[in-house]
Amino acid sequence: MRENLFASKTTWVIKKAFREYYFNQLKAIEEPLKIEQREFGYMQFGQAGMLRHLSFKSMKELDAILVREAPSDVYCSNAYYRFPTQQPMQEKQWLGADLIFDIDGKDLGMACVPSHSYSVCTNCGYVSPPEHKEERSSYFCPSCSSKKADHVSIPCSKCIDASKKEARRLIDFLLGDIGLEHSAINIYFSGNNGFHVHINDNACISLDPQARSDLVGYLSGTGLILESIGVRKTNTEDLFFIKFPKSGLAYGWRKRIAEKLKIDSSSTIKLKNIVNQKGGYNAFKAELERLVRDIGVRIDPQVTTDIHRVFRMPGTLNSKSGLSKTKSGDLHSFDPFVDACLLGDGKVSVRVKTPVKLKLKRNSFNISKESAEMPAYAAVYLMCKGLAEAN
Amino acid sequence: MLLLNLSSIEMAGSDLAKYPFLNEAGEYLRESSFGWEELDRPDMKHIIDRAAERIEIEVDGKIYDKLERYEIEILTFLISLLIVKSIGIDQVLRKFALAEARRAEKFLTEDLRKQSEIKRRSIFTKIFEDLFKLKIVISEDQRLFKVRVVDYLARASHFHEQEWKLINRLVHDGYVYLDADETVRLIRNELAVLIHDKVKSMTLPTLPQGIKSTADPLRLKLLSRYERRASTAVTGQPPCIKHALEVMNRGDNLPHSARVMLATYMLAMGKPVDEIVLMFGNAPDFNEKITRYQVEHLAGMKGSHTKYSVPSCNKLRSENLCFATAECDTLINPIQFGRKKK
Repeated sequence: MRENLFASKTTWVIKKAFREYYFNQLKAIEEPLKIEQREFGYMQFGQAGMLRHLSFKSMKELDAILVREAPSDVYCSNAYYRFPTQQPMQEKQWLGADLIFDIDGKDLGMACVPSHSYSVCTNCGYVSPPEHKEERSSYFCPSCSSKKADHVSIPCSKCIDASKKEARRLIDFLLGDIGLEHSAINIYFSGNNGFHVHINDNACISLDPQARSDLVGYLSGTGLILESIGVRKTNTEDLFFIKFPKSGLAYGWRKRIAEKLKIDSSSTIKLKNIVNQKGGYNAFKAELERLVRDIGVRIDPQVTTDIHRVFRMPGTLNSKSGLSKTKSGDLHSFDPFVDACLLGDGKVSVRVKTPVKLKLKRNSFNISKESAEMPAYAAVYLMCKGLAEAN
Repeated sequence: MLLLNLSSIEMAGSDLAKYPFLNEAGEYLRESSFGWEELDRPDMKHIIDRAAERIEIEVDGKIYDKLERYEIEILTFLISLLIVKSIGIDQVLRKFALAEARRAEKFLTEDLRKQSEIKRRSIFTKIFEDLFKLKIVISEDQRLFKVRVVDYLARASHFHEQEWKLINRLVHDGYVYLDADETVRLIRNELAVLIHDKVKSMTLPTLPQGIKSTADPLRLKLLSRYERRASTAVTGQPPCIKHALEVMNRGDNLPHSARVMLATYMLAMGKPVDEIVLMFGNAPDFNEKITRYQVEHLAGMKGSHTKYSVPSCNKLRSENLCFATAECDTLINPIQFGRKKK
């Protein structure tokens, strides 16, 4: 009961901070192109499920909802529909969808993650600090014996830098290979631990899921066959011969691989020797697949290929952190813990469940005692993560 | 009829012979004041016979490779469209359209390969743009063609072969580099759709006796073939389908790809949607409404109205859904199981 009281007060404090943000910062919310053709959805604090299939004719209509409801999360479709509110999906009459890429920090396999990750029991909210982090498969809450936990992370600067690096690699591919204009590429901090890259290019809007999947394969380096760099298999197991493709190795993936292998389209014998040194066709294939995956960009394929998805709206708050989904003009100088931390700094008293360190708006917080008073932006961040409760 | 504006392009007669689906061919007929009654002239018999021969060859999956002067070819093409329309069998139309596309593909490839004839190559790149909204640029060294990545993806992502995956192509600065064969292959399906739609949208006139006397026997011949084929008993189900059904009947979870295979196979076998939906009744996550929608989607009744084909054996192998037996030896698609002659 006491936990529930804490939980409802915590929700109330977070919601109040969100409402203040939406009241004061409505201009930060970006109007999507062709707003009347988009499907919107939002989630409410303390309620499961998303209210979907909504449509707004103008930002004014949406703004009113944001201030009135103070939703926990706000979403807008990448798709354009003739009838955005219709159900089921096929009745909406799909007209196209923006091309969007998702780089999620948690998918980058960073070695530092366990050192700043916490297990939060989904039943009682007990927090296991990083040094006592149990394996996910064998979580056992020391307080209530529940076996289910949310695993939350406070991304460190290394994690953010790794996501930025992926975003930069993606942009290099999109500019150099895919030929997109710089102005068509918009990068947003997701509001928690990653980046969303939105493409504003009319030609991409009509691409179907298969075409998007093929593009994802290109960017992430999956599906390369050795024949495309000139290593051709014979009918006999593991035997091969070299015949370079007519179109050469001068650009794109072929160039990247040729540079790694230090070959060009006249290096027939050299390439043959390389393949033999690696142990033949199959062994070389396995090695090349690893190499290509390393060079490729780690993007979430499901996100890009889904043409009916709703995405967090730029400028709205993420209930996993209280940070905003914010456009990053210059990735190098962008600091999500400053540029996307837009809540107010009125004092909030919280009960912190575990000793925790964080840095927001250039202020460092190193909290070791249970009760603390801190600016709303930091208190909300910790409460959204499940690491603190309102006092 | 096609609405093409190729007035700025100088089409030679030989081009019209090879590409009789172009608007210029229709213009030629109009300008020569050709009338239906002329089809009853005795000297037309040769052309009507050619048209029938063309259809028979193409329905057998081969390419009709004869090429005469354009006056004959244009009429042969027109008459073959009339006959196919009058036959009124969908499979015949589909096979004819695909073979016509492959015939045109062969000529287009040859024409695009003629590197020395830059002007003529530009004629064909213009045809691509007008007919298929596909802009083709000749590469800097004149050896290859370039198409925009997005145009490439919209077409090639539906091809099954690995070599067509974008990652296996030379890609640079927004363009995919292709040789003549590959460029033409890219639009084969659209060419077939173009010819298919051309026949579909035709209003059939009362056939001149000269054509009717050839079309009717051909219709009967093909009708019996397709009726017989439709009633051919399939000797059992292929092992991949059997396996999927066993898993389903056990109430185990079948992966999405296997469900697609099962549904498309059953649709191809002519099973009604209702029966197919019931077939999934044992699935642990069965929801009749969702299953019905998905089966109808695969049948082309919902969504994009694309009718999905049964995945090829190659595709099934790559998805670990293949449980081949000796009987599968020469098959490339499960649908051939029990039908293919060895």
